[in-house]
Amino acid sequence: MLEFDGLYKAYGSNQVLEGVTFTVAPGQMFGFCGSNGAGKTTTMRIAMGLARADAGEVRWSGRPVDEIVRRRIGYMPEERGLYPKMKVGEQLSYFARLHGLDARAAGRAAEHWAERLGLGERRGDRVEKLSLGNQQRVQLAAALVSEPDVLILDEPFSGLDPVGVDSLAEALLEQCRRGVPVVFSSHQLDLVERLCDAVGILARGKIVASGTVDELRSAAAGRQLRVVAPDAPAGWAAAVPGVRVVSEQRGDTVLELAPGADDQQVLAAALATGRVAHFAWREPTLVELFRHAVTDTREVAA
Amino acid sequence: MTAPASSDITPHSPAQLVRLVAGREISTRIRDKGFLISSAVLILLIVGLMVFQVLIGGGESTSRIGLVGGDQAVEQVLQQQGQALDTEVTVVQLADEDAARTAVAEEDVDAALLDPTGSRPELLVQTAGGSAEDLVQSALAALSVADQLSEAGVQLDPAPEVDVVALEGAEDDRSQATIVALLGVGLLYFLFILFGQFVAQGVVEEKSSRVVELLLATMRPWQLLAGKIIGLGALGLLQTAVIAVVGVAGALAFDVIDLPGQLIGTVLNVLAWFVIGYAFYAAVFAVAASLVSRQEDLGSVLTPTTILLVVGFVIALQAAQDPGSTMATVTSYVPGLSPMVMPVRQAAGEAAWWEVGLAVLLMVLAIAVIVRIGGRIYAGALLRTGGRLKLREALAAEKA
Repeated sequence: MLEFDGLYKAYGSNQVLEGVTFTVAPGQMFGFCGSNGAGKTTTMRIAMGLARADAGEVRWSGRPVDEIVRRRIGYMPEERGLYPKMKVGEQLSYFARLHGLDARAAGRAAEHWAERLGLGERRGDRVEKLSLGNQQRVQLAAALVSEPDVLILDEPFSGLDPVGVDSLAEALLEQCRRGVPVVFSSHQLDLVERLCDAVGILARGKIVASGTVDELRSAAAGRQLRVVAPDAPAGWAAAVPGVRVVSEQRGDTVLELAPGADDQQVLAAALATGRVAHFAWREPTLVELFRHAVTDTREVAA
Repeated sequence: MTAPASSDITPHSPAQLVRLVAGREISTRIRDKGFLISSAVLILLIVGLMVFQVLIGGGESTSRIGLVGGDQAVEQVLQQQGQALDTEVTVVQLADEDAARTAVAEEDVDAALLDPTGSRPELLVQTAGGSAEDLVQSALAALSVADQLSEAGVQLDPAPEVDVVALEGAEDDRSQATIVALLGVGLLYFLFILFGQFVAQGVVEEKSSRVVELLLATMRPWQLLAGKIIGLGALGLLQTAVIAVVGVAGALAFDVIDLPGQLIGTVLNVLAWFVIGYAFYAAVFAVAASLVSRQEDLGSVLTPTTILLVVGFVIALQAAQDPGSTMATVTSYVPGLSPMVMPVRQAAGEAAWWEVGLAVLLMVLAIAVIVRIGGRIYAGALLRTGGRLKLREALAAEKA
């Protein structure tokens, strides 16, 4: 288990983190979402020892993350960082060695990952000569090259084209299958929704929602039901107990059901009006969940 | 529960990490064009200096003298006189005065002597006042004296050879050693600046490219700092040693130096001072460089240290003139200045062993303080990018 436990951090009077807590299981892909400035990067930097938490700690396998553990973590910083004048292959091999591989194994790993991420032919090029997308791949390769036990990636997908996104996603899923917990932050919520087993939404220094996307959905207050009954008169559903009409337009109705309300009762009421063309729970997208979670805390904070 | 651990992976000790960093510094820098060019220029400079020395000082001067008329004896006397004046004389026989005028005008000969044995010998030169005049004048005088004496029937014993006994032992050797020390100090001055710059540029490169975040996720700031300084220092020492070997070998080959023993001693001494001085300046340059995030801002933070170096070098120049002066004595203890002033005083034979020991001790203490405080500044400043950091901010950031 990778555990982030009650992290607090303030820069001067600016309280950035106020008790960030979540866990990532081995082999789990954890999507870390939050608005700009919510504290995602600070959380990851604390895990990597690049910032010191005022309180709380990060643990891996029950053990506080220290330098020894960190050497087994693959990290991709938000501000990309590579030696611009160093060749791709040498650079990867250097990072592998810093993480504890011996020279030969490091050379092999560098070759493997350069090949794997489509950089095979650029191994002898200086990083500064590569396109930004390719530099991004080198950065990722630098995080993966030491066969880490844990991956912490800050915005790994930003700046990649769709093909790059796919090959990166595939590489990350492969790490998960290897049993590696992967934490990554992203603003591309559709991507998070597609890839992640678990999601954490950070807002105002706290995790305001976490769990699988399904859990988040069911936890979201006011589940919505969309019913299309073309012949239904206006206000047909208002009488069903526990139902609030969100919108109603020429037979296309969106209803919000209170907890405990019976959807079958709604269906019966709809059928009573005539033909029912569509009856389904409306799955809120992660974007909607995110907006909801973030605005909720705004209201609380305000 | 945990991912499969690879058998290739062994945790590093701090020393291994430092070695890895140092290895990268060396392998990157040794392929750097700037470094290679500066090394080549330095070696060429040293060799050139010696060749120059041979051309102006050590070697004998030569003189070509044209001769119209005169016999074998004149030729011999001119050459003997040349030897006495340390000049190699080549005598060229010329047909007549016209030929002599042409030869002088075309600088085929330095001077042409007409009718040497007659009553009114004449010397043709381009412009009056050259060394050939004295040479010819004394040669003819000697010839005339010898002629007159032999006419008078006088036989002369050869003059006794004088044995030279020097009371003041090695006056000349000392000054030679001082010159070597001064050259060495000039080299140190140059290398401190060069390698200090390398260290500083390396620190800023890591900071500006943000690669430092990845590095610090695997090691502590002091390990990064130590690896950088040690790696570049090893390279600097190697370069200094190569230059020293070339210099000493060249000096011996060209016969520029009279006392090889003392020369080598001075060179070794300069090498030792390189190590101490480099440690001092590299640490200061690295810490200063960690305060900025862009190469363009480097100049402003490095200037104070560079000024210290310039001051040290100027004092060393002055100390070579007057190694016993108060200024030289005092500054040869001041950390930062001592690596440049003390070698000159030592070479001049002005410094007792305990004085050298004291200077080294003060220097080592200063390095210890810089590494301790500077290491904290460096650690605090590395992850702060943006404008230029103040020292106090960096120290505060280290605690955060």
